[in-house]
Amino acid sequence: MAYSQAAWLIPVFPLAAFLVLTALGRSFRRSAPIIASIGTLGSLALSVLVMVEGVEYRDRINWIKIGDLSLSIGFDVNHLTSLMLVIVSIVSFLVCMYSAGYMRDDERLTVFYGYVSLFVFAMMGLVLADNMLMLYLFWELVGVCSFLLVGFWYHKPEAKAAAKKAFIVTRIGDAGLLLAVLLLFWYMPNHALDFVGIQNVFQGQSGAVDAQITTLIALLVFMGAIGKSGQFPLHVWLPDAMEGPTPISALIHAATMVAAGVFLIARTFVLFEASAVAMDTVAYIGAFTALFAASIALVQHDVKRILAYSTISQLGYMMMALGVGSLTGAIFHLMTHAFFKALLFLGAGSIIHATKTQDIRELGGLGGRMRLTALLFGVGALALSGIPPFAGFWSKDTILAAALDSNPALFAAGLLGALLTALYMARLFFRVFAGKPSAISEAAHESPAVMTIPMLALAVLALGAGFVETPWYDGLSQWLLGDEAPAHAADGYTVPIIGAAVALLGLYIGWLAYVKRTIRLSAALDAMPSARRLLENGYGLDALYTHLIVKPYRLLGSCVQLFDRYVVDGLVQLAAFGVSALGRGTARLQNGQVQTYGLAAVIGLLVLIVVLAGRRLWS
Amino acid sequence: MMIPDWPILSLIVFSPLAGAAVLLAMPKQRARLLRITAIIATLLPLALTLWLYADFDANRVGDSFEEYAAWVNIPLDQAGLGGGAASYGLHLDYRLGIDGLSLPLVLLATVITAMAALASVTIRKRWKAYYIWLLVLECGMLGVFLARDLFLFFIFFEITLIPMLFLIGIWGLFNREKAATRFLIYNGLGSAVMLIVFAIVVMTAGFSIGDTQGGGAVFSYSGSYETILANLSDPQAVVNQVAAGNVNPFYLSNGMETALFVLLLIAFGIKLPIFPFHSWMLSVHREAPAPVVMIHSGILLKMGAYGLIRFGFFLFPEQAERFAPTLAVLGLINLLYGAVIAYRQQELRSMLAYSSLSHMGIVLLGLASLHVIGMQGAVFQLVSHGLISALLFLLIGSFYERTGTSRIDELGGLAKAAPFMAGALLAGGLASLGLPGLSGFVGELLALLGLFDTHKVIVSIALLGIILTAAYVLRAIMGITFGELPAKYGSMKDARFIEALPIVVLLAFVLLLGIYPSFLTELMKHGFDPLLHHINMRVGG
Repeated sequence: MAYSQAAWLIPVFPLAAFLVLTALGRSFRRSAPIIASIGTLGSLALSVLVMVEGVEYRDRINWIKIGDLSLSIGFDVNHLTSLMLVIVSIVSFLVCMYSAGYMRDDERLTVFYGYVSLFVFAMMGLVLADNMLMLYLFWELVGVCSFLLVGFWYHKPEAKAAAKKAFIVTRIGDAGLLLAVLLLFWYMPNHALDFVGIQNVFQGQSGAVDAQITTLIALLVFMGAIGKSGQFPLHVWLPDAMEGPTPISALIHAATMVAAGVFLIARTFVLFEASAVAMDTVAYIGAFTALFAASIALVQHDVKRILAYSTISQLGYMMMALGVGSLTGAIFHLMTHAFFKALLFLGAGSIIHATKTQDIRELGGLGGRMRLTALLFGVGALALSGIPPFAGFWSKDTILAAALDSNPALFAAGLLGALLTALYMARLFFRVFAGKPSAISEAAHESPAVMTIPMLALAVLALGAGFVETPWYDGLSQWLLGDEAPAHAADGYTVPIIGAAVALLGLYIGWLAYVKRTIRLSAALDAMPSARRLLENGYGLDALYTHLIVKPYRLLGSCVQLFDRYVVDGLVQLAAFGVSALGRGTARLQNGQVQTYGLAAVIGLLVLIVVLAGRRLWS
Repeated sequence: MMIPDWPILSLIVFSPLAGAAVLLAMPKQRARLLRITAIIATLLPLALTLWLYADFDANRVGDSFEEYAAWVNIPLDQAGLGGGAASYGLHLDYRLGIDGLSLPLVLLATVITAMAALASVTIRKRWKAYYIWLLVLECGMLGVFLARDLFLFFIFFEITLIPMLFLIGIWGLFNREKAATRFLIYNGLGSAVMLIVFAIVVMTAGFSIGDTQGGGAVFSYSGSYETILANLSDPQAVVNQVAAGNVNPFYLSNGMETALFVLLLIAFGIKLPIFPFHSWMLSVHREAPAPVVMIHSGILLKMGAYGLIRFGFFLFPEQAERFAPTLAVLGLINLLYGAVIAYRQQELRSMLAYSSLSHMGIVLLGLASLHVIGMQGAVFQLVSHGLISALLFLLIGSFYERTGTSRIDELGGLAKAAPFMAGALLAGGLASLGLPGLSGFVGELLALLGLFDTHKVIVSIALLGIILTAAYVLRAIMGITFGELPAKYGSMKDARFIEALPIVVLLAFVLLLGIYPSFLTELMKHGFDPLLHHINMRVGG
C-alpha cells in the first residue's frame, strides 16, 4: 500500500525537473540531460514499485467547490494505470538518455529537456487522473507539450506550420471530449465525473443515463481519441508532426501521447460497452484507419513519415481491438507498439544523426556501416511486421483472434493490414540497409553508445514483451480484467499460424521487390503518376481540408470583417454624421441677422396657430 | 492580521488620489522621481486590498466593511404631500461596501494598475500629467466597484472617462485624438442612458416611508443600493403596489422594469462591449499607449459586466431570467463574431481587440446561465481575461518600443532575439486560448458548465469557439515569435528588469488562478446569493 499511496509523486519528479530546468536557464546545458533523466528515473522506479505492489488505491481533493457541487482532482492506481505508468516511464527514461546524444549540439538543450520533463509530467497526470475533468486537463497539457516540441526548431517554417496544425486539429477532437465531460457532469447521478463512478453507473445497465445520451457521450469521447490518436479523418497532423526532433517522435508521437486516445477509451470502456453503435464506430474507424494509413506508408520516401503512417495504422489496430471488445488486445498492442515503435524511431534518429538525411532514396547499403543500428532496427521491423516470436506478433494475434470472434470482415481487414505492414517495413528496411552503399551511406558512422544503449534496451523489450499474453497463457488479461477475463479459444493455433504466414508473405514479397528486384511493385503506380502523387500526399486530404475548410473560413473572416467595418461601424459613423449635420444646420440658423430670427418666429407662430386650429376642427 | 477600525474601503479608493496630490507638488522634469512616486501610489491600494483579501469573510452574505456618510440631502417641498411628514427629502449618500462580487474586481484593478504603472516606462513625454491622470483613473475604477449608492456609482463611472480621454488623446498613437473623442462620445451616450435609468429607479424604488419620529412619517428618496434592492424585492414595498383607483406614482410596472433592464443592458453593453456596440473599443485598442490599453482592456471593460450584474441582474432578476436566452445568443455572437474577425487581423492590437470581444462573449454566456457555476465562471472570466489581456498588451507595448510596429506581417522570429518576452507572449496566448493550468480555462469551463444545464445547443456551438480561438491566437503569436528573425531586429534586447517584473507578476497570477481557482471562487461563494435566492424561490414556489 505504501508505494501506491505515494503514486502522486510519480508525476511530481518530472515536474520538479521541469521547474529546475526552467529556473536554471540556458547556461546549464551540460546538466540538463542529467536532471531530466533523474526526474524520469524517479518516476520509473516508483512506477515499477507501484505495479509490483499491484493494489488499487485512490485519493482525491477538491479543486473547485461551488455550492454543493465540486470538481476534484485525484489519482487512481489500478492495474491498468500502473501498467501504463511503467510503459510511459520506461520509454521516457530511455528517450531522455538517447537525446543526450542526439540533441547534444543544440543550443536550446535546456529548453528541450524542460519541455520533455513537462510532457512526462502531463502524461503521468493523464494516466493517473481519477476523473474525466482531470484527464481532460492533462490531455490538453500533453497536447501543448507536443505542440511546443514539434515546433521546437521554431525558425523552420515547416516546424511552425506543423506545430500549429497539430494543435488545432487535435483541438477539434478536444472540443468533442469537453462536450462529453459537460454531458457527463449533467447526466451522471450526483454530477460524478470519476471513473469509478462511471464504472458503477454504466456497468449494471442501471438505466440511470438514457441510452441515446450514453451513445452520444461515448461517440464524443471517441472524437477526442480520434484527434489525439491520429485516427481518420483527423490523422493529418501526425505525419507533419515529424518535423519535431526524432526523440520526440519516438516518445510523444509513437509511444505515449498518441496512445492516450486508446487509453482513454480503455478507461471509459463501460461507456462503450453500453452502446453497440459506439463500439461499431470505434471498430470500423479503427480498421479503416489501419488499412488507409498502411497503404500510404507504402509509397512514402521519408523514413519518419513512413513510421508516422505506420503509427496511425497501428493505432487503428488498437481502436479496432477496442471496438470488437478486446480491451486486453488494445492495451497489449499499445504496450508492444510503444516499445518497438519507439525503437524504430530511435533507429531512424540514429540513421538521421549519421547521414543527415531521412530520404530513403538517398540511403541504401547502410547495413555495413551501422551494423548495430541495422540489427536493432531490424528487431523493431520484425516486431512491427508481426513475425514470431517478436512482441508485435503476439499482440497482433490477440487482436486478430478477437476480431475473428466478433466480425469476419474486420478479421480480413486486420490480415490485409498485417500484409501491408510487413510489406512497407520490408521496403523501408531493405531500401535503407541492403544493397550497395550510396555516397551518403559511405560516410556514415555508428552512433555513440548513449544512443545505442537505449535502443538495445527497447530491442530487448520488443523481443520479450510479447510473452505476457499468448494463446496459451493469459497473464495480461488476468492482470487487466481479473476473473472477467474471457477464456481463450480452444484451438490456439489457427489464428497465429495464419497471422504469421501473412506477415512472412509480406516480408517475402518485399524481399523479392527490393532486394532481388525480380518483381516491380510500383509498376502499376508508375503508369499513373497522378495516382502515385495522390497516394504520396495521403489521398490529398490536406488539400481537401485546405479547400473545404481553411480557405472558406478565411473568406468568411474577410466577409465578416467587411461587414464589421462598413455595416456595424458604418451605422455608427452615419449616426455621428447625422448628429453633426443637424448641428451644422441649426448652427446656420444662428447667423446674427434679426430678420432671419423674425422670419423663424413668424413661421413658428403660424405653425402653432394651424396646429391649434386644426385640433379644434378635428375634434 | 485583523484590520483595525479604519475606513479601509475609502482608503483603497482614495489612496491613489493622495499619490496624485504628491505628484502635483513635484517638478515635472524629474521623470525618475515621478515614476517611483506613482508606482508607490499604485502599490498602496494593492497592499490594502491584499490585506482586505486576507481578512475577508467569504461566509458572510452581503457586504462586508460598509462605510457610510451622509452626503447630499435635498429637502423637498412638503406641499405636494399634504403635510403630516416629519421630513421629506432626497438622500444621495456616500456609501461603500464590498462583497464577493466586488472584491475579485478590486483585486484585479489594483494589480493591473500597479503593473501598468510599472510598464509606463515606455511613456516618453509629460510624465507628471500622465501619472496624475493614471492615478485619478484608478480612483474612479475602484470607486465603481465599491460604490453602494447609485449616484455615487455614476460619478465614479464618469470619473473614469475624463482621465481616459486625456490618456488616449495626449499619449496615444497617430489617430489618438479621434480615438479619444470617439471613446468619450460613445461612452457618454452609455452614461446618459444609465443616468436616466438611475433617476427613474431612485424616484420609484428609492422611495420609502420610514418610521414615525415624533411628528410624522419620514418620506425619502434614496440612492442607496441596499434600500433600492430591498424595496424591489419586497412585495409590500410601495414600488410594487398597484394602487386601486388613484395612481401610485412610485409603482414600477413589469413593462417599465423590462424597459429599465433593456436600457441597462445597452448602457453597460456599450462598455462590455456587446455586439454591435463594440466599434468604439477597436480604435482605443489601436491608438492608446500600451499601459493605458492594459487598463482599458484589463479593467474598464469589466466595469460594463460588473454594472450589468450589480444593477441589471440583481435589481431586476425576473427580467434577467426572461432575457437569459437572449443574453446567451448575444454571448454566442460575441464569441464567434470576434473569433472569426480576429483570425483576419494583421495588426496585433486589432486582433486583441476582437479577441476581447470574443472573450466577453464567454462572460455573457456565463451570466445567461443564471446558475451559480456559470455566474462564478463569468466573474472568473472577467478577472482572468483582465490579467491575460494586460499581459499581452504589456508585451506588445514592449515589442512595439523595440521594433516600431505591431503588425504580424512585419514581425517574425522574435523568439530568437527576445526569448523571455517571446516565451511570455506564448504563455499569455496559451492562457488566452484556454489551456488548462492557466486561468482562461477555468473561466470558460465554469461558464459553459453552468450554461449547459439549460442551453445545451448554444454551449455545443460555443465549443466551436475553443477551436477558432486556438486558430487565431496561434496564428498571431506564432506569426511574430516563430520563423526567421528579420535581420533588422537582430540586435534587439530582451526585457529589462522593470518590464520583466510586471510580466512575471501577471503570469504568476494567471498561473495561480489556473491551478488554484479557489483563490477566487471561495470569495464569490455568496456573491450571487441575492439573485439566485430570488430565482430559486420562484422556481421552488
